[in-house]
Amino acid sequence: MRVLIPARAASKAAPFTLLALALAVAACGGQRQTGDPDVPTGGDNAPPGILPPHAVTEQGQAIEQLYVPILIIATAIFIVVEGLLIWSILRYRRRDETLPEQIHGNNKLELLWTIIPTIIVIGMFAATLGTLQKVDARAPQPEEVSANPGAAQQGTVALNVNVTGFQWQWTFEYPQLKTAAGTPLSFTGVGNEGPEMVVPVNEIVRVNLLASDVIHSFYVPQFLFKRDVIPGVNNQFDFKATRPGTFAGQCAEFCGLSHAQMLFTVRAVPRGEFDRWVAEQKEKAKPKPTPAAGGSPAPGTIEVSASNSVSFDQPSLDGPANTPLTFVFTNKDPAAPHNVAIENAGPNGDFVGQPIAQPSQTVNYGPTDPLPAGVYNFYCSVHPNTMRGTLTTK
Amino acid sequence: MATTVLSPRAGVYQRSRIYEWLTTTDHKKIGIMYVTAAFLFFLLGGVLALFIRAELAAPGTQFVEAQSYNQLFTMHGTTMIFLFVMPMLTGFGNYIVPLQIGAADMAFPRINALSFWMVPLAGLLLFSGYIVMDVARAGWTSYAPLSIVEQGPGQDLWIVSLILLGTSSILGAINFIATIFKMRAPGLTLMRMPIFVWTVLVTSFLLLFALPSFTAATAMLYIDRNYGGGFFNPAMGGNPILWQHIFWFFGHPEVYILILPAMGVVSEVLPVFSRKPLFGYRAFVIATALIGFYGFGVWAHHMFTTGAVFLPFFAFFTFLISVPTGVKMFNWIFTMWRGRIRLTTPMLFAIGFIANFLIGGLDGAFAAVVPFDYAIHDTYWVVAHMHYVLVGGSLFGIFAALYYWFPKMFGARLNEGLGKLHFVLLFVGTNLTFFPQHLLGLDGMIRRINDYAPDNGWTELNFLSSVGAFTIGISILPLLWNLFITFRGPRDAGADPWDANTLEWAAASPPPPYNFEVVPEVRSERPLFDLKYGHLLPAHQVRKSGASRVLTQGLGAHGGDRGVATGGVIPAAPGTTHDEFRLDSPEEKFGKPVEGHEDEHGRPRGITPEAPEKAAPIDPSARADHEK
Repeated sequence: MRVLIPARAASKAAPFTLLALALAVAACGGQRQTGDPDVPTGGDNAPPGILPPHAVTEQGQAIEQLYVPILIIATAIFIVVEGLLIWSILRYRRRDETLPEQIHGNNKLELLWTIIPTIIVIGMFAATLGTLQKVDARAPQPEEVSANPGAAQQGTVALNVNVTGFQWQWTFEYPQLKTAAGTPLSFTGVGNEGPEMVVPVNEIVRVNLLASDVIHSFYVPQFLFKRDVIPGVNNQFDFKATRPGTFAGQCAEFCGLSHAQMLFTVRAVPRGEFDRWVAEQKEKAKPKPTPAAGGSPAPGTIEVSASNSVSFDQPSLDGPANTPLTFVFTNKDPAAPHNVAIENAGPNGDFVGQPIAQPSQTVNYGPTDPLPAGVYNFYCSVHPNTMRGTLTTK
Repeated sequence: MATTVLSPRAGVYQRSRIYEWLTTTDHKKIGIMYVTAAFLFFLLGGVLALFIRAELAAPGTQFVEAQSYNQLFTMHGTTMIFLFVMPMLTGFGNYIVPLQIGAADMAFPRINALSFWMVPLAGLLLFSGYIVMDVARAGWTSYAPLSIVEQGPGQDLWIVSLILLGTSSILGAINFIATIFKMRAPGLTLMRMPIFVWTVLVTSFLLLFALPSFTAATAMLYIDRNYGGGFFNPAMGGNPILWQHIFWFFGHPEVYILILPAMGVVSEVLPVFSRKPLFGYRAFVIATALIGFYGFGVWAHHMFTTGAVFLPFFAFFTFLISVPTGVKMFNWIFTMWRGRIRLTTPMLFAIGFIANFLIGGLDGAFAAVVPFDYAIHDTYWVVAHMHYVLVGGSLFGIFAALYYWFPKMFGARLNEGLGKLHFVLLFVGTNLTFFPQHLLGLDGMIRRINDYAPDNGWTELNFLSSVGAFTIGISILPLLWNLFITFRGPRDAGADPWDANTLEWAAASPPPPYNFEVVPEVRSERPLFDLKYGHLLPAHQVRKSGASRVLTQGLGAHGGDRGVATGGVIPAAPGTTHDEFRLDSPEEKFGKPVEGHEDEHGRPRGITPEAPEKAAPIDPSARADHEK
């Protein structure tokens, strides 16, 4: 008991010192938050830090705002508790053989550290519910508003995008933007970069998530948001990009072999630029005049098929040398789109077969440039890492 | 300490040592085998982790391609959870729980042996995937339908292995529950049980409720894969979310299964090395039970991003579960407050547990904020969170247990210098590995990827994390050397080398097959403390109302006198018994002598005047040695 009085005094002072320290740290955090000018940097190239990347959607900004107070609370708790811990160890190292006071507990103290955390977590819960409402809110479609004009308080959905995830790519389809042939604009990822989703800035975009094989997750770090893409479940979410830029995205739910390569990008552009882009894509999608069909297969026609996302049904193909080749490709895989591409097939680099064959579709690719005799790699540009084979020309 | 020969004819049945270990039903031998097997799987799982970190140390492919990488993290997670932490904690429970409650063995010794032998069998099955060249690669969560789509025997081996491990744990849980409820020493009421026993009890209930559903689900997954079941396969009308619900209905209580006994260890170690009782014993028991109870109401917080769960309910319970955890945190710190802290190796690991677990726990509160979980779910942030809990928490608790109970199990203390080196390396390594992962996850690095782009800005932090992982790897070397030299050295630790509080230290080190020569009688949650120091504590001031439980004061004047109490029946030290439990004192609840336990003078057995020297020889020189 002899030395306990100064210890008690110090112990009372300690938490306040620590609290002051916590507030100082929190203030620093706040400074960084406001000090960073809102420069459109496009990609996510800022170095990782204690704060998340700046959100580029209205929904993400709500999450970002919630993060800072929670970080402050957590930092304060961290400093108080670790401070108490270190203080106890340093202050109460054994100095003699005496038995210390045998304290079994203190109901008031224990009640205190039950009630205070309860109040903190109930506050956090309330804040969670509030933000959740903003993040998970769904704007009405324009046709719903015409029936019920009051529903358009927060604006209506300006653009619908259907996202299909499959091993290990994405297809982005714009159901409202039809080509001359009446089919919606659709983009399937090719190569490791994956497809690009172009959206107008400052307008509400509705994303419908569909999966055709296993579970994936649509994740854009700068949205501070992800939503799982589950076969048999029709998930949706809305977002409203607040600034133009290109934002990297990736599948976040482990989906097998090439999960790490399941990338995509979202590009937010002003409305005018978006409309120009749509017109351009519609122009591109116009059907090209098909070569005259019929008769027996011409020399240089090679049949290829694929039943899954890991390999072609024909791991090796043969063809005539110095002859333009045409591939008749049948996609037998029920789950994923595929195509045929040949590495280094001419002066322009790889030959990439377009359009990509959807499940149970047959598409002719070619003719290619005449290929000198040799061995070439062919692959599916949707699954460039796994679906590969060799083509020998003689 | 003299060993007593139970039967003069015992020598007739000489068995070879190997046969003896293979057929034993002794809880101590089974406990040692559990700990040994788990430790070997720990080394194996650790090597897998080093491969993972080596691959991620820089962008591009270093050592393994995607396929092998996916197998690595699947096997690492499965091994560490099911073959290391669970059997390790079960092993300590097996060895220590019967000793702490004054029992001779577990309630069902042969079921105990069966539970153990399933573990190495399951481990061999799981790793035999590397022999048949097809290893499970759907992650330790084995989400359907990926786990159905993945071809090959690896996933089936995973399923069969987990069914075996699940069965083993269910049997073990029943055994612990029966042992703890039915085999406690006279006077050892539930509210006098050591906290470690409490945590094992709550853990056993969690296992009993959580594992059957999981074991059934794995069987369903097997049917889906091999017989076209379609439970979880959307292509056949099944529901992949159903797997997640069942998996996490098991998987979240599993988290507490992995951490609660480690918390129990910390709650044993802190009072001993602070020379104070656990602060708020009753609050601690209630908090443990509440964590177990709430643990069944939070499973879907692993599924916030599926968009298929009722978010407010699961968010609320996830927040709520942090309250009892916080209570424990403060109770631990106030156990040290105004104590006489000895920084021995077990104490350092217990303190390390608190320091790391706080970070893991705060992470948990972040993840309960559903909108924020949308950002960090399935990123390295979550990897950091779970490793702060499982490495910073469970692993530190396990090492605290190893250093603390090693002298009891093998009769020799591990070297303190090497132990402290082990602690420092592990503590630095753990924080170096896992803290940067928060930042990576926040920046968008997702988990379970074998590669990342060099222009993401993640290279430096990943390299740092890998350096930390290898520091953890190196920290095991002093431990191995320590084990080696200690096993070669003298076994002279004595019965009570730490000057501890609980009954296991009243038996010899290592205890004889029957554990106790007399059935000890217990009057508080610190029976051995009462025995050694009861006479030093003044008998007064039992509170009348619920204001304060500060019971004794002014002990400093008696400093130095640490002799063992003699003369008369050793009472519970007045004031060391929780006054609110005084009503069920032995006289009232266990008033009659336990039948068959009278000594030759007809007095009830227990810790009787003769017992101290016999059961708990306090060797002053041994203690003086380690307290220098």
